[in-house]
Amino acid sequence: MIYLDNAATSWPRPENVYQAMDRFLREKGGNPGHGSHSLAAAAKETIDDTRMRVARFINAPEVERVVFTMNCTHSLNMGLKGLLRPGDHLITSRLEHNAVVRPLRKLETQGVAITRLAPSPETGVVSVADLEQAITPQTRLITMIHVSNVNGVIQPIEEYGAIARKHNVPFMVDAAQSAGHYPIDVQAGNIDLLAFSAHKGTYGPPGVGVLYIGEKVNPETMCEGGTGVFSESDEQPEALPYRYESGTQNAVGICGLGAGIEFILTTGRENIASHEHALLNRMIEGLSHLRGVVLYRAVDTDRQAAVISCNINGYEPGEVGVILDQAFDIKVRAGLHCTPEAHRCIGTFPKGTVRLSPGYFNTEEEIDLTIKAISSIAKSKN
Amino acid sequence: MATISRYSRQIVFPDIGPAGQERLNSSYAVVIGCGALGTVIASGLVRAGVGKVRIVDRDFIEYHNLQRQILFDEDDIKDNLPKAVAAERRLRKINSSIEIEGIVSDVNHTNIEKLVEGADVIVDGLDNFEARLLINDVSLKHNIPWIYGGAVGSTGMTMNIIPHKTACYRCLMPEKGTGGRTLTCDTAGVVNAAPWVIASLETVEAIKILLGSPDVNTNLITVDVWSYDFRSLEIPRKDNCLACAGKYEFLDGKLSTKTTSLCGQNAVQVLSSGSFALTLKELSERLKPLGDVSYSDFMLQFSTGDQEMIIFPDGRAVVKNTHDESYARGLYAKYVGA
Repeated sequence: MIYLDNAATSWPRPENVYQAMDRFLREKGGNPGHGSHSLAAAAKETIDDTRMRVARFINAPEVERVVFTMNCTHSLNMGLKGLLRPGDHLITSRLEHNAVVRPLRKLETQGVAITRLAPSPETGVVSVADLEQAITPQTRLITMIHVSNVNGVIQPIEEYGAIARKHNVPFMVDAAQSAGHYPIDVQAGNIDLLAFSAHKGTYGPPGVGVLYIGEKVNPETMCEGGTGVFSESDEQPEALPYRYESGTQNAVGICGLGAGIEFILTTGRENIASHEHALLNRMIEGLSHLRGVVLYRAVDTDRQAAVISCNINGYEPGEVGVILDQAFDIKVRAGLHCTPEAHRCIGTFPKGTVRLSPGYFNTEEEIDLTIKAISSIAKSKN
Repeated sequence: MATISRYSRQIVFPDIGPAGQERLNSSYAVVIGCGALGTVIASGLVRAGVGKVRIVDRDFIEYHNLQRQILFDEDDIKDNLPKAVAAERRLRKINSSIEIEGIVSDVNHTNIEKLVEGADVIVDGLDNFEARLLINDVSLKHNIPWIYGGAVGSTGMTMNIIPHKTACYRCLMPEKGTGGRTLTCDTAGVVNAAPWVIASLETVEAIKILLGSPDVNTNLITVDVWSYDFRSLEIPRKDNCLACAGKYEFLDGKLSTKTTSLCGQNAVQVLSSGSFALTLKELSERLKPLGDVSYSDFMLQFSTGDQEMIIFPDGRAVVKNTHDESYARGLYAKYVGA
């Protein structure tokens, strides 16, 4: 089996993630923060430890500004709905995932004005000048996807952040496809809200997301409840991270995220990235010569993350997905990838594309077999 | 009075009598599948005065159904009626004194228990093995007798399954039919008398079961209306039958056909749990009379009217132009066999 769907979720997980989660459930399985006995304390300690690792990983100025959520979608909703009110203006791109598109559509019906910037048709990058030009006195938030989950184009978030800061507009980044793969420094990048999930580039399990909340913003809460602290009050505490973490946290999942980050640190983020890029370049090299195969990727290789899309003339993407799975045992993701606007931008709406996203655990041999498989499918009709 | 005279001719029949008629009137039968078998069965049960008859079917009526499905007419097709709705309307006109309920629904492991809840008997009017294995599980689990019946070409068979007394359907058919190898009315054709004979036998067995009659048949009956071959075979209970042992793999959804709506494509992928023993070449020959077929090493394309399907060598299929997973399962059962 060849797994090339790491943009959907990492697979396999590093061995230490499996082990840490197993050990956690056996040895630290109390309710974190809701009790003082040793098992509860052990669970809380694990969460605190992961929080610290995440904070250091993204260079958060304070550890408690890292909030754990259910997933990246949840994090993005918290940022958008926590900050925007009727009459406000928001700037975003046309490359966003439905995790941003759909909450924004709802906010739009409630009176939030939205500017959606198109990427350059040549480079796939949203222009910094366009962004600056779109800012109005009513602009309350800029939200941008870091890496496209369709073609892997990396957007210049540091430049967007600088413009946002210059105009004193809060800046949110959807780092679903980039966290873990690329260095993200929320302070240097002027990022006020950073959202990502545990289960992609950070090798954790599904069911955990992260929202970093900078000191310049104070989103409204979407959910209130027990926090294990300040229980005497019937009002939600103001203190971070409790303000945004009501109810029992997914402690075992958070533990897995901590182990995933540990794996990145011990393996070396750059080693992971360079292996992934070597595989991706090999794949691009192999596929770009095939007759009947169209690639969707960054023109500038420095702006290419380990995600690309392709289509084969004569086949619909969904058909290629099934053929790769059942005739070659290669796992890819076909369709719209929950990102219809981005597909409109690259001209692949409504059928979408076949997305190939190698990860650290793939090998050169697997990439060669994939090229061979796509080649034989293409040859059958081209 | 009208009620008495309505049933007078069967009340005179000594094995039914007034007490039997009353018993039928307080009984509840669920007919699953409302095609050639189901329309005859539902019609028979309603006319006989079974107090409540529920009819479950997911399909809409098509012209080629009229050759054998007796409750429908051309107006129903023009009105684009689902079978369950058309059957309910027609049967209400035939007998307004009982409760008749048509339910437009797929039958699957998530809803079957609710669909048959409280039934005294379940009668099979289905077109696929998987749903029958599902009914078999639910029948054994909730101790509801059911009557298996199936027909294709000029042949048919039927058997009563009295939970934990007779052999069950899985004793007879331990595994799901092999996809592609299974004949269906759509690929092998059907002579209308074959399902009608089977459905008539199912109806009378249902009535006997509801009456608690000692004459309930316990054999498998097979019929060929063309070569005039009628048989009655004893089917022993199997010692190692999983369903008899309380392992309900179909009701637990472990062996059910899985469907997934394909993102952005207005298409549904169908993944059968059974094995697939047909080459694309063989399947293309079978489907050729029914529509346009073409195939390569990797897949077969089949279209007929506005129905379009891609079938892959392992039996997986993509049904196009729909988001309706139950419709996709239905087409798969018709053309590939489930």
